[in-house]
Amino acid sequence: MNRLCDVEPRVMDDEMLKLAVGEQGPRDEAGQLAKQEGILFKDVLSLQLDFQNILRIDNLWQFENLRKLQLDNNIIEKIEGLENLTHLVWLDLSFNNIEAIEGLDTLVNLEDLSLFNNRISKIDSLDALVKLQVLSLGNNQIGNMTNIIYLRRFKDLRTLSLSGNPVAEAEDYRTFICAYLPDLVYLDFQRIDDHMKELAEMKHQCSVDELKHQESLMQAQLEEEQARWEELEGHKAAFVEHLNGPFLFDSMYAEDVEGSQLSHLPGVGELVQTYKDKFVIICLNIFKFGMKQQEKRKAELDTFMGCVQEAIQEKQEQGKHEIAKFEEKHLLTLSSIRDESELTNFEIKMAEHSENITELVNVLMTLEMQLVEQLEETINMFERNIIDLVGLFVENVQSLMAQCRDLENHHHEKLLEIAISTREKIVKGELDEDLPDAVRALFVDKDTIVNAVGASHDIHLLKIDNREDELVTRVNSWRAHLVDKIHKDEIMRNRRRMKEINQYVDHVQSELDSLEYSDLLD
Amino acid sequence: MLVAPSWSEVGHSECIYSSYRDLISRQSETQQMEVLKEKVEEEEEAERAEQAERAERAKKMMRPMEVRKEDTTRTQEMLRDLERKLSEIEVSIPEKPSTFTKDAIDTSKLPLSYQSNTPKEEHLLQVADNFSRQYSHLCPDRVPLFLYPVNECSVPKFVSTTIRPTLMPYPELYNWDTCAQFVSDFLSAVPLPDPLKPPSYLYSSTTVLKYQEGNCFDFSTLLCSMLLGAGYDAYCVYGYGSQDLCHMDLTREVCPLTVKPKEMVKEEEKAPPKKYAVKPPRDLTSRFEREQEIKRQEGVKAEEEKRLKQGERLAEQESAKTDPLHGLRVHSWVLVLSGKREVPESFFIDPFTARSYSTQDDHFLGIESLWNHKNYWVNMQDCWNCCKDLVFDLGDPVRWEYLLLETDKPLLSLTEEEDDGMNDDDDVENLGKEDEDKSFDMPCSWVEQIEISPEAFETRCPNGKKVIQYKRARLEKWAPYLNNNGLVCRLTTYEDLQCTKILEIKEWFQNRKDMLELKHINKVTGLNIDYFKPGHPQALRAHSYTSMQPEMDRVMEFYETARVDGLIKREETPRTMTEYYQGRPDLLSYRHVNFGPRIKKLSLNSAESNPRPVVLRHSLPTSHPTHVLACQKITERFSRNPAKPADEDVAERVFLLLDERIQLRYHCREDHLTASKREFLWRTEGDSKGNKIIMTPDMCLSFEVEPMEHTKKLLYQYEAMMKLKNEEKLARHQAWESELEVLEILKLREEEEAAHVLTISIYDTKRNEKSKEYREAMERMMLEEHLWQAEAQLDYLAPFLAQLPPGEKLTRWQAVRLKDECLSDFKQRLIDKANLIQARFEKETQELQKQQQWYQENQVTLTPEDEDLYLSYCSQAMFRIRILEQRLNRHKELAPLKYLALEEKLYKDPRLVELLKVFV
Repeated sequence: MNRLCDVEPRVMDDEMLKLAVGEQGPRDEAGQLAKQEGILFKDVLSLQLDFQNILRIDNLWQFENLRKLQLDNNIIEKIEGLENLTHLVWLDLSFNNIEAIEGLDTLVNLEDLSLFNNRISKIDSLDALVKLQVLSLGNNQIGNMTNIIYLRRFKDLRTLSLSGNPVAEAEDYRTFICAYLPDLVYLDFQRIDDHMKELAEMKHQCSVDELKHQESLMQAQLEEEQARWEELEGHKAAFVEHLNGPFLFDSMYAEDVEGSQLSHLPGVGELVQTYKDKFVIICLNIFKFGMKQQEKRKAELDTFMGCVQEAIQEKQEQGKHEIAKFEEKHLLTLSSIRDESELTNFEIKMAEHSENITELVNVLMTLEMQLVEQLEETINMFERNIIDLVGLFVENVQSLMAQCRDLENHHHEKLLEIAISTREKIVKGELDEDLPDAVRALFVDKDTIVNAVGASHDIHLLKIDNREDELVTRVNSWRAHLVDKIHKDEIMRNRRRMKEINQYVDHVQSELDSLEYSDLLD
Repeated sequence: MLVAPSWSEVGHSECIYSSYRDLISRQSETQQMEVLKEKVEEEEEAERAEQAERAERAKKMMRPMEVRKEDTTRTQEMLRDLERKLSEIEVSIPEKPSTFTKDAIDTSKLPLSYQSNTPKEEHLLQVADNFSRQYSHLCPDRVPLFLYPVNECSVPKFVSTTIRPTLMPYPELYNWDTCAQFVSDFLSAVPLPDPLKPPSYLYSSTTVLKYQEGNCFDFSTLLCSMLLGAGYDAYCVYGYGSQDLCHMDLTREVCPLTVKPKEMVKEEEKAPPKKYAVKPPRDLTSRFEREQEIKRQEGVKAEEEKRLKQGERLAEQESAKTDPLHGLRVHSWVLVLSGKREVPESFFIDPFTARSYSTQDDHFLGIESLWNHKNYWVNMQDCWNCCKDLVFDLGDPVRWEYLLLETDKPLLSLTEEEDDGMNDDDDVENLGKEDEDKSFDMPCSWVEQIEISPEAFETRCPNGKKVIQYKRARLEKWAPYLNNNGLVCRLTTYEDLQCTKILEIKEWFQNRKDMLELKHINKVTGLNIDYFKPGHPQALRAHSYTSMQPEMDRVMEFYETARVDGLIKREETPRTMTEYYQGRPDLLSYRHVNFGPRIKKLSLNSAESNPRPVVLRHSLPTSHPTHVLACQKITERFSRNPAKPADEDVAERVFLLLDERIQLRYHCREDHLTASKREFLWRTEGDSKGNKIIMTPDMCLSFEVEPMEHTKKLLYQYEAMMKLKNEEKLARHQAWESELEVLEILKLREEEEAAHVLTISIYDTKRNEKSKEYREAMERMMLEEHLWQAEAQLDYLAPFLAQLPPGEKLTRWQAVRLKDECLSDFKQRLIDKANLIQARFEKETQELQKQQQWYQENQVTLTPEDEDLYLSYCSQAMFRIRILEQRLNRHKELAPLKYLALEEKLYKDPRLVELLKVFV
């Protein structure tokens, strides 16, 4: 691998690239044209840069659409500068001095990767290459069998070459690979026959099964996570996440030191429990209501979108029809004008056709204006409805939240009562149970205990308020955003259509004008 | 209309009923029955006296009836008068033998049930006779019933027993429509001997089927038998039909095959307007004006329709002559009542034409009686309004008088009627006998099992051919394989009622090798359309043409799934060819080729030298530049390829070969109105300096919906153009190939038409020669094998076993002895054979020695002739001796082997094996 070391390395500069592109570009007549015009790097699909003594990959960022890149037989030491070449399908880096696989994370379309005859000792950093089909890693320094297990993630991998690695000298090298990569068809340029597959299966069945089991477990876990995440997303879209359980209640007590301390008082435990039950029931109500409302909103949105789409489609069909009609006439008129020899007739026809064009513009514009008006009306109606829906939702949630607050107030009163009575008991020395010191400290005097209970209450109320505010602001912002987007989309659509019509009419007019011009020239 | 006159008093049915019941109950009391009979006979006697007169009168009365038919507004008085007169008319069953007897029927070979009556049948006949007498007594104004006509052996048989319910073994005959069609096809109709009377005879269905001929009663009996067998609630009806019906005259009916099925105008279900559906733009036209306009148009249309209808009606009336015997013509048909086999509504089937009619149809003018295999019912309802008011509730004794009591039909309560009955004195006995009476049911049918052989079923019509004349149409039917071109049906439609101007001809074919199914010839336009079933070698579906010459107007449709190129349709005119495709990988859906005018000189040259001038017409430009002119324009359209962006997906490309111009139109983007266009101009001449122009910006004119940078490049355009040039060549080549294919198909069609080969199913064992041969060969082989086996199984133990007492089991000792005997016998035979050969050998040798001796002695005196004789003898004798010697040696060699073989065989013989085992 030390060959070429005595040769002076070359830099990948514009000149070199241009030369390569020019040489590998189109031939013959097309080549002349290409030379005349010059080839833009971003139009190049395939590039060959072998035997150039390149040390460092550079200057390739312009080749955005490159599909095939050959950099073999150079002295490259590090894979770099390929980040922009996302369309790359075929990459040849064989016969270089690369030591580690890296810098391939953006090449998601890569199917064929050759790293033959390098100094690689470990297979990794290939995770992004999900479409990989052919991998050539022969004549490297891969020494560990576990590298092969890494290749199991490439479902499309069919061809692999690893000969010339230390790993290939192992006794069960072939069977090991066949067992762990059962979809592989060619190994080291040989087709894997069925006999070999059977043999491999027999030999490594146990370990492969174990691996498979682990993998499936992982997969299941992943899927579960995914499902959970999706569910939460759904809840979030309904603005009622974490309301289908005691989550809110728990969060109320999470930062409440006094509250948890007070729960050690006799009778408080039961009180908190009943309070929690009631609270959770209300939360669940909010959740259910929220989900239902979400569905309603979604249905509303779907019908709206459907109707808008229908209306647009209808006008579009009409417009297409008009244009088709016009086009027919246009072609006929153009040819007749072309054949016209008399100037007066020519001018009359020109004028007539100009009128035709104006008429077409009028028709198309009328259609568009009609559509704009119709859609405006519809959008306004939808806006009103969605505001109503959101308002209803917020109102209901607020009333339910108020119930929560009532519960909290009620609880607070009860707690206060118990606290005061306990304090009295402590003062009288009648208290039987042992209380932790921290709790006992609260009962130093009446103010302290009242303050403690009050602080707990405040924290609870704050939590409830926060949750409510969050919900309301989010739903409102969603609504505003949605309506805004609909308006914007509509405006964009209108502009695009206007532009399209104008462009078309300009084109038609220019066709007519060019006739005039050419005629005048004659 | 008048034949079943209105009888208002309903009570008489009860009379008949009770009298009938009485009759049954007092069968033992023959005396009284005799009295009753006598009474009736007396009446008949009196009537008979006037018979001659009556016949005369009946004829006279015909006229008033006619009058009445035409003039329905008669006064009550006149009506009553007429009724009275009519009531005097009574047509009795004619005594004379029917004029329509088949002498050919060999009655002697018919089974016994045909030639005689069982006691039960005799009994039934008596009941029927009595019923008929009472009926004629009680309803003297009605014609006698059709109860027990004679059969082919001149034995009277009750009509119900002539019906033999049979389910045919053909699945095609499971439904009423196919059954009726079969009966109408299979039998040829014979008119009644007297159109005003039912026949005096009714043959069995088996005889009718044998001779394939019958009158309407035979038809309906056979059909009824089949329908009852198939589970329908069917009845034979004796009644009155229109002239067309009775004469099987369909000339005033529209052929069912010409009637186009009414297109179901499916009301598209309008989805309820959605919540956010946009409001339509305001309509500013006047609604009043629109309404007025619609009204006016409707008025005009109605007027026109009226006029048309009137014209038609006039024409019809002219053609339809009034029938003087209207309402008197006797006919028989089949009634199918609702209820069984999911028949939703009762209907009539005319067995002659196999058409079904509603029970309200105008063709059916009255019903006298009806019967099935179980019972007989007489209509007691008024038929003044044809059959329109009849109620087919056979359980209602007021409307339908039945002959036999039946258990499965609902009956009204009996008690009241008994009180009103005529024979009050026998009430007690009546009650006692009632249960028994009910049990008296119809005897089994005397008719043999109805059988239709598969050959007859396939041949269908008598001699396999049938012609039906409809209104402005003629239908001819043939049995399959009867015509050697596979023709099975031909429908000729005429323009006028006289059937002189042919409008169109439709011919149906079956079992054709070329899968031709229907040939439609329009005589007016000269357009022929051939329809094919799947399986034509060129996947042809339909071919419409005016002439078989190439380059004429024609349309060919194909089964696109059977073709590699997915071609659906190819339309041709002298100047164009249009092809439609489906399901191609390149998404080509349409190709249109315009041909320029043929160059005269060229065609003259090529027409003689080349049998296919068309081929030259678009041969590739390299072969002959002048021919390019012919193919002027090729238009190709493509479906949208979802894998490509719309701006790169070509929707239509037009190759203008004359101008060297290529036009491209791309697909329209989803949310756009306009589509991109591109036009390439091909310039071959060099520029002013003589350099060859490769590509200039004005060679490609394009309009792009969304202008893109890379498409402006000359290189891109150049490459696109080069590609298109290639495609153009390809398209031209394909057009040429298509033209070739058309010629090929035309040639093939001509060959097929000339040869018309019929296919024979491999399951058709009779027609399929190959399979027949094969089967016969198989049978022959089987037979030979059987013979051979029989020979091989020559039993060597048989003579020895015969010595032993038969049927006893062998003992071991016997078995051993048997074996030994057999072996010793065989040994003896071998020795005998050896001895025989030895003896012959010795004899031959002796003879030779004698001759030699004789020769030695007389050698000197012998003539050369004698010597020759001696020498030839010697050589022959020597030969014989040698052969004998050989045989002897061979026998000596083989004898021990043969012996051992037999021994072995004996040890293995199933009869001895058990017993000899020990010794082995």
